[in-house]
Amino acid sequence: MAEAHAEQPAPIQLLDADGKLSHHPVYSTYIEQLDDAALRDLYRHMALERRFDAEATSLQRQGQLALWAPAQGQEAAQVGTIAALKPTDRVFPTYREHAMALYRGISAEELMATFRAVRHTGWDPNAYNFNNYAIVLASQTLHAAGWAMGINQDLRSGNLPRDKAADEIVLACLGDGASSQGDVHESMVFAASYQLPMLYFIQNNHWAISVPTSTQSPSPLANRATGYGFEGLRVDGNDVLASYAVAKHTAEQLRNGQGPKLIESVTYRMGAHTTADDPTKYRPSEEVEHWADRDPLTRYKTWLENESKATEEFFEQVEQEAAELAAELREAVQTMEPIDIERVFDTVYTEPHRQVQAEKAWLKDYEAGFAEEETS
Amino acid sequence: MSQTFNLPDVGEGLTEAEIVSWRVAVGDIVEVNDIVCEIETAKSLVELPIPYAGTVGELVAEEGETIEVGQPLIRISGADDDDAEQAEEKPQRGKKQEASEKKSGEKKTGAEKNGTARAAQTSEDQNQALVGSGPKADTAKARPRTRHTVPDLVETVHLPEETPAARTGFHTGDIADIVAKASPPVRALAKRLGVAVWELVGSGRNGQITRDDVERQAREKKALRESGKQPKGGVPVPGRQQSPGDVGLLYDGPREENVQVRGVRKATALNVSASASNIPHVSVFKEVDITRTMELRQALKNDPAYQGLSVSPMLFAAKAIIWAARRNPQVNATWHDTHYTLRNYVNLGIAAATPRGLVVPVVHEAHTYSTQGLAAAITQLTDDAREGRTTPGEMQGGTISITNIGPLGLDFGTPILPPGQAAIIALGAVRKKPWVVDGQVVPRGVMVVGGSFDHRLIDGDLAGAFVSDIAAVLEQPGLLLD
Repeated sequence: MAEAHAEQPAPIQLLDADGKLSHHPVYSTYIEQLDDAALRDLYRHMALERRFDAEATSLQRQGQLALWAPAQGQEAAQVGTIAALKPTDRVFPTYREHAMALYRGISAEELMATFRAVRHTGWDPNAYNFNNYAIVLASQTLHAAGWAMGINQDLRSGNLPRDKAADEIVLACLGDGASSQGDVHESMVFAASYQLPMLYFIQNNHWAISVPTSTQSPSPLANRATGYGFEGLRVDGNDVLASYAVAKHTAEQLRNGQGPKLIESVTYRMGAHTTADDPTKYRPSEEVEHWADRDPLTRYKTWLENESKATEEFFEQVEQEAAELAAELREAVQTMEPIDIERVFDTVYTEPHRQVQAEKAWLKDYEAGFAEEETS
Repeated sequence: MSQTFNLPDVGEGLTEAEIVSWRVAVGDIVEVNDIVCEIETAKSLVELPIPYAGTVGELVAEEGETIEVGQPLIRISGADDDDAEQAEEKPQRGKKQEASEKKSGEKKTGAEKNGTARAAQTSEDQNQALVGSGPKADTAKARPRTRHTVPDLVETVHLPEETPAARTGFHTGDIADIVAKASPPVRALAKRLGVAVWELVGSGRNGQITRDDVERQAREKKALRESGKQPKGGVPVPGRQQSPGDVGLLYDGPREENVQVRGVRKATALNVSASASNIPHVSVFKEVDITRTMELRQALKNDPAYQGLSVSPMLFAAKAIIWAARRNPQVNATWHDTHYTLRNYVNLGIAAATPRGLVVPVVHEAHTYSTQGLAAAITQLTDDAREGRTTPGEMQGGTISITNIGPLGLDFGTPILPPGQAAIIALGAVRKKPWVVDGQVVPRGVMVVGGSFDHRLIDGDLAGAFVSDIAAVLEQPGLLLD
């Protein structure tokens, strides 16, 4: 896969795999505006997610989660991008944006309710401006376009002042696999037609379960934007600084009303697609090693240390905090209340609905028809 | 005290895994999330991290062994620190306490205010609850049904004829409306013409309600309205009784009603129609004096060994069938067109009428049971069937079946063969009848025994010999002493 990409335009990169920072006329300015505390915080969020992810994988292996979709390797892409947005911007995630969710303050318990299979979702999207995880591939890109159209309508009708609308751009997350779905095409057509304040954020992690990106498209996914009439950029998704700067710059353009944009974040999924598949069966170990050398945390840590922007004490603190987060996660998952089945029926429609009520009554009756417990 | 880590479902819906290799040995100290073994599932090779800290006490499964999800994998003992608390917490939570808590529905009350204890306890409960035993719970070991529930949403919906106007939108729509087999344009047409689609019987493919069905109904209604008459059933005819407002129905309910076919009814329908259309049935009957059997039955009923067991004519008939099958092997067989399979054993199917419908649980290897053992087995099976606890597995593998229609007050009937069997025996009611014994007419207990047979394999003479042998045993149960 690495060979194929050699022919393609190199992704925008500020920090190389060895932790050396280069200068870019546009993007470097965004990094220069970050103070040391903000720079350290990027690392902190990446490290928290990595630990969280490992704990979640273990919990699934211990029978405590129904499923887990690991995001290891994609921390820089996610943290850099979400950090570049305002808390008022609306995020439409896939089911793998764990770093983004944690960044927005969604708790371990809220995040895990779905993976523990006790609730369809664990958080209030409006409380975090972070939509619920979308398990149905690419569906969130349509929801995002609809949301963005709503913002435009509010603008037109005068319900939303221009300056406030500028604080509410829409981030539509998707993966390389979902980029081939029809929903994405429709979403992009509408985004372009209505010049929506939408940022399509494709995390190209190289594998759509077992299908490589080279099968999805012979040309970079970023190029697809051109066909719809808007700009597409490629960024090194394992470089948190480039991810931040490019997202920040693009977001500013969107806030100025410069239509939709697309960022293809070139990264790599180090783990399985989900805990239900075995990546060693479909991808070569050399490729995994190749990307392990380009690890987003390692290169950034090297740079922070070399530039004396963080002390050993800081990294120890982060490690401690990550361990606490992992413990919180374990506790949250193991003490989670079982599903409240009535809620499933009560939240289908806002008003009582006869069919749903009848189904609810039927299930209740059916459940009541079982013995209290198995006599063994 | 030790913690047991059961094999979890590490994929989606996996049921088992092979232990590829152990990474720890008995006596090793482990921390939470240390990898203890590698397993191979149908999907992948997976390294399993341990959820407990402590010392490895036992490796329950061996390398190369395949175990089921939910089965014990490894035991960890002598936990320290937090885990010691968890470990100590366990003895207080004996099985009885757990059971009583589950019953009362209170999982976290009383003394368990300590957070760690609560976490440990819940963790233990949830360990059982989520994926560890999930797939198994879904299959053979499903919780028993204690009663039958109304099987669907459709059958109880009755609406008076005048309501269509009130039925404006989906939200107020009735369930029957929603599940009636009519396409949206046909529904729209029906709405326009004031026809209630849920009252129609579809003439289209798979019972689809067609445009014609709707229009015909509308025409009929219109004709009735114009003639000033009531609907068909209510047309006043001399000599017919009719109370005011009565449209002439047998009982309170809709005039016609479609009832969904599901569950046991559906399975029974499929089985009997396949059997009746594929197997040429032949039936024979014989009336038999079973007075001696009834006397023996009374003796057994008084025997403490049969306490609590159902000692019915069915029990003796079952013994008689096994006895007769030994003398007529060809009735205990399955027809396969090019060959047939003789069964040198009897798996006896017992037809039971249950609230769910007809269920035929099987006493496997019935020929190996003593009379008392067979009584116990039949009692158990029929109790389970009536309470809805019969598992699909218990209904498979029958070689000969028996159905007792006596309790229904019937004398004889022609049962349909269960698929794969060549003989089914029916028992009628035992009646006191005048019977000639030694030239004298005396009152005796008399019953008709008979059954249906697969005529491809069993001719009338063999069927007759088999039934006569059963009758002989019922007449003289002493024959079983051979």
